[in-house]
Amino acid sequence: MNAILVYCRRDLIRWIRGRWGFISALVTPAAWLIFVGLALPIRFTDDYIDFVTPGILVMSTLTASLQGGGLLILDRMLGFFTKFLALPAPRESILFGKILVIMIRGLIQSTIILILAFLLGATLYNPYQLFITYLILIIFGALLSSFTTTLAIYIGDHDSYAAVNAMISMPLFFTSTAMMPYSVMPEWMRIPAAVNPLSFAIDGIRIVQEGIFPLVQIGLLSGMCLLLMLISVRAFRRVKL
Amino acid sequence: MDYKKRERDRPCKTPIVTHDLTRYYGDLCAVNRLNLEVENEIFGILGPNGSGKTTTVMMLTTLLAPTSGTAEICGYDIHRQPELVRKMISYVPQDMAVDVRLTGRENVMMYAELYGITDPAQGTRSALKTLDLADRADDFVKTYSGGMRRRLELAQALVHNPQVLFLDEPTVGLDVAARKKIWHHIRYLRETGMSIFVTTHYMDEADRYCDRVAIIDKGIVKAIDTPDRLKSLISHDIVTATISGIYSGFAIPGVTYAESRGDELVFFAQNGEKALPQILDALAVQGLSILAMSIRRPSLDDVFLHLTASSDEDAGPFNLSTFRNILGRRG
Ligand SMILES: Nc1ncnc2c1ncn2[C@@H]1O[C@H](COP(=O)(O)OP(=O)(O)O)[C@@H](O)[C@H]1O
Ligand SMILES: [Mg+2]
Repeated sequence: MNAILVYCRRDLIRWIRGRWGFISALVTPAAWLIFVGLALPIRFTDDYIDFVTPGILVMSTLTASLQGGGLLILDRMLGFFTKFLALPAPRESILFGKILVIMIRGLIQSTIILILAFLLGATLYNPYQLFITYLILIIFGALLSSFTTTLAIYIGDHDSYAAVNAMISMPLFFTSTAMMPYSVMPEWMRIPAAVNPLSFAIDGIRIVQEGIFPLVQIGLLSGMCLLLMLISVRAFRRVKL
Repeated sequence: MDYKKRERDRPCKTPIVTHDLTRYYGDLCAVNRLNLEVENEIFGILGPNGSGKTTTVMMLTTLLAPTSGTAEICGYDIHRQPELVRKMISYVPQDMAVDVRLTGRENVMMYAELYGITDPAQGTRSALKTLDLADRADDFVKTYSGGMRRRLELAQALVHNPQVLFLDEPTVGLDVAARKKIWHHIRYLRETGMSIFVTTHYMDEADRYCDRVAIIDKGIVKAIDTPDRLKSLISHDIVTATISGIYSGFAIPGVTYAESRGDELVFFAQNGEKALPQILDALAVQGLSILAMSIRRPSLDDVFLHLTASSDEDAGPFNLSTFRNILGRRG
């Protein structure tokens, strides 16, 4: 069996047998959708749930991706990483294994969010829109999990990683178009929001609901994703402890 | 399947050769110009904590970059051909890492698949059997004892039948019975033609189980030889005396004071039987009460202490000619 799949299967088994991580991953996206989508007093639109669903999809993909680095940190602290690095299997399969496992987790969460959103009255996506939505989430998830997993090689311990995590994810989320469109943002936020990869993904999913193919967004995300993967593969091949 | 019957793809004559292998951490020299040639044997690196054993193993397994110097594993250079080196070896690190949420079989199977062996299920079965884990194979590793977890790691390492097996302190933290069992398995693997590079800080284990031993201290190899030849470095008998009181020295021809370990005094004597009563008298004259005395042949402990402690070589009871012969580069 391919080494990528072996690494991925191992993490999935550990995740499901760990039970609480698994349950939490299923419950938290629902909580976000209900509290943000239904409870916030919003004035700029009547269909806030339609508006906010792409934001929550991308946000939960972001959180899932940040856990990619967390998984690697844990492997490092428990000594597994050292053993894996000494194996003849290509070292980048460790990286792709993590990306794959994050992708699977992210897609499970996204599916739960979409089903709930539709149940709560969001406008249904047609199959083409669904396909593009998943495509964007996959590219975005690969981009971010590749970044966090590689970051984890250089950050030794769990506490530092959590700190760096918070430092990256909070501003990224709040300066994106997840919660509000460009039109209602304060002036100063529009520029960071426009160059934020989170916004690319969110805008892409919104645009496809309007019947337009989000060429710019998918192009930008794919380009960034490829570049980061190249850097990450190099980093994994060269890693020394 | 019997490991003995399996063909090794490319048996190598000298599995490990190092050339001035050196590693600094900042200003600290963890490994200093290491020159080794390991053959088809159990080769032990013996040294106290912090002497550079793990650093050495991590350089040889391509996990850590040497500051200077290089090494070849089965003829492959660790700098230029790390992928080929990793195909030849297995590595069991000092810190144990087995997946407690997986069963023993799942743990080994995973490595069988990662190594890409032809029949992973069969390979896993025979590795578990070799290490006496077959009857507990489908239990979660959570329920395994420390010794069983170590054996599980050995099973993971030998599932692809490597040319060279690196074991970093395989017995540390285990009880006596478990340690013995691990060494029994290591010996068995050597019989099958595997070369084993093992580190330890237990002198008695190195003495009993290794074919050759390198004594290392502060990153410097002090001597390399068979345990017996190392012990013959000390030509004298060891006389020990357990006393209460303060020892203030004496002069008996043919007897030198070596050191005190707690309330035990250690002397080197050219003739132990003759020296014992003389030492007893001399100590009694000083008004010390002697609780116990013994004569024994030198152990690897004594060799180690002398190789590492005495800067003034001529004062010790060494066969200096032999000592100089075995220092430095071999072969
Ligand atoms: N990552 C590191 N950074 C700095 N110093 C280190 C590092 N790893 C080991 N050392 C130092 O190098 C020396 C050798 O360590 P090590 O190879 O682990 O010894 P051993 O395995 O024999 O106990 C020790 O003094 C240790 O403190
Ligand atoms: Mg060590």
